[in-house]
Amino acid sequence: MSRGKLWEKLRPYVMIGPAMIGIGLFVIYPLFYLIYLSLFKFNLMNRNMSKFVGLDNYIQILGRQDFYKSLTNTVVYTAGVVILTLALSLLIAVWLSKRTRVNAIVQAGIFTPHIISIVSVSLIWLWMMEPSLGFLNYILKGLGLPTSQWLQSSKSAMMSIIIVSVWQAIGYYTLILVAALQGVSPTIYEAAALDNASKVKVFRKITLPLISPQLFFILIIMTIGSFKVFDTVKIMTGGGPNNATNTLVYYIYSYRTTNIGYAAAAGVVLMIIIGILTIIYFRLMAKKVHYQ
Amino acid sequence: MASIEFVNVTKEFDKKEIIKDLNLKIEDGTFTVLVGPSGCGKTTLLRMIAGIGPQTSGAVLIDGKDVTDIAPGKRGVAMVFQNYAIYPTMSVRENIEFGLKNNKVKKAERTELVESISAAVGLTDFLDRKPSTLSGGQRQRIALARAMVKKPSVFLMDEPLSNLDAKLRAQMRIDLIELHKKLGTTFVYVTHDQVEAMSMADTIVLMNQGLIQQEAPPETIYHEPSNIFVAQFIGVPPMNIDELGVGGVKFGFRPESAIGSTEAGTTPFSIRGEVVTREMLGSETLYKINYKDTSFMIKSLEDRFTVNQQVYVSVPTEKMYFFGEDGNRIPTSHPSYSSYIEALRSY
Ligand SMILES: Nc1ncnc2c1ncn2[C@@H]1O[C@H](COP(=O)(O)OP(=O)(O)OP(=O)(O)O)[C@@H](O)[C@H]1O
Ligand SMILES: [Mg+2]
Repeated sequence: MSRGKLWEKLRPYVMIGPAMIGIGLFVIYPLFYLIYLSLFKFNLMNRNMSKFVGLDNYIQILGRQDFYKSLTNTVVYTAGVVILTLALSLLIAVWLSKRTRVNAIVQAGIFTPHIISIVSVSLIWLWMMEPSLGFLNYILKGLGLPTSQWLQSSKSAMMSIIIVSVWQAIGYYTLILVAALQGVSPTIYEAAALDNASKVKVFRKITLPLISPQLFFILIIMTIGSFKVFDTVKIMTGGGPNNATNTLVYYIYSYRTTNIGYAAAAGVVLMIIIGILTIIYFRLMAKKVHYQ
Repeated sequence: MASIEFVNVTKEFDKKEIIKDLNLKIEDGTFTVLVGPSGCGKTTLLRMIAGIGPQTSGAVLIDGKDVTDIAPGKRGVAMVFQNYAIYPTMSVRENIEFGLKNNKVKKAERTELVESISAAVGLTDFLDRKPSTLSGGQRQRIALARAMVKKPSVFLMDEPLSNLDAKLRAQMRIDLIELHKKLGTTFVYVTHDQVEAMSMADTIVLMNQGLIQQEAPPETIYHEPSNIFVAQFIGVPPMNIDELGVGGVKFGFRPESAIGSTEAGTTPFSIRGEVVTREMLGSETLYKINYKDTSFMIKSLEDRFTVNQQVYVSVPTEKMYFFGEDGNRIPTSHPSYSSYIEALRSY
């Protein structure tokens, strides 16, 4: 009897046990270990030589120019990618939301980049963006337009990386938005037509609010993802030229062997920034998003 | 104020003809009720008038003008959709106001209109709520208010009262009749409810499978149905119909025309059968009477018989209907009419 009762009480914990162990092992432990590391001047060769330095690493971070440079780069990158991806995928989604054969093919086409590894994507673009022999400049020249140094100039390198990221992300988010648009009942548009609403008005007052949950989702997911950008930077520019594309995660990565404690502290700062951003989004946007 | 006319209108969905070569004139200022079984094309007809589901061929005229190329919002038409089609992200007020805003109505006037209409449909307390927080009946009233507020010249309503409770429905029915009187605009109203059809209509248009079966005032539809379909569609329970046994002709009579009695009747149609069911509906009682291998429904104001009782059923001759082999009603002026009456004696 009492054994039965005990089991009754324990059962839920036993059930979620495996998942909790996984989360503890792979999420919570690393997180706390990261914070723990950030408080040390860590010695990779000899752990015993590591020294507890308290908040020194953080003070250092907030006082260093190169950190602010990479933070600014990250913000520029994130803003560029998020705004461009949202705008373009919305535009394409509106265009593709009519169910026709051609649209299905186009949609499959623009979704393809998403299933290719970002490493391959980066390599292909690296080659296409080569200033003297690359495909892009060849086309631009052919059209009589000014060419660009793309990745090789600190002025255009960030723009180039943004283009690649947007190109890769667009198909996936278009898919989400097309689904959202197709989920809107057509009679609502008919009612709007009878209410003499102009196309612009229908889009602003009916379509946008109806797909706002999906737009909000994309905004959050993309912002977080973009803040953590790494692979494109690593492969295409290595943070250069002249630190023009050095983003936060790449910055952290560059200290992986020289100063682990410092890198850990930068990681914690990045986490805090993303956390704050997300909270701000939810506060600001919650009223504008219409969940049904 | 507008008349509506369909001229040889055909409507196809995926190569399937839903409306076939339809001709119909709806006079200016009338209250026309469209009835017919589910799927017969009532909504399709309304959508053609509104311009949101254009005809495949033929022309729809409003006030004598072909409106094929006129946008839905410019036709002076308002519609209450069968599934309401309320804007889910707008508040009740915004829903009602939307059309007015698009038509550039001044703010003060707009507010006044919204307030008065919402009072009329009983939505005043909900103006600032989102439709998702309202009940089905309340949403239906938003749809009504949204159409009413635009003061259209043609009012299309697709089962606008179907989700209201009996009391509110009766109230709204009277309100709509009054509204029609007051505005004098053309109403086209779709319903499944016969009480609504009979009580509200100037003209009933009865459709079946995309074809108009009869177009007439309620009294005519009831007393002079043009064919078996109409006769059985209007009236609850439907008209009793059976073979006369002469040249494929059928006879019919309404349950409320039959007189039940314990003594034999003297009319040509007078039978003796057994009560198999009895449904007491309050003011009236329905009996199902078995006779030979068929059965008839009769309706009586008195509740006199019991189940298994033997009763006589007779029907006055003037309340008998006859239908030819093609299903059309045989008029009393038909040369063989009296012979059909006589044939009833040997039924
Ligand atoms: N968009 C469409 N595509 C294909 N078929 C359709 C479409 N709309 C309607 N139909 C068909 O047209 C016929 C008439 O439909 P309609 O909606 O006019 O019926 P209704 O008389 O309004 O029925 P109800 O009383 O059930 O509302 C139906 O058989 C329906 O299947
Ligand atoms: Mg319908």
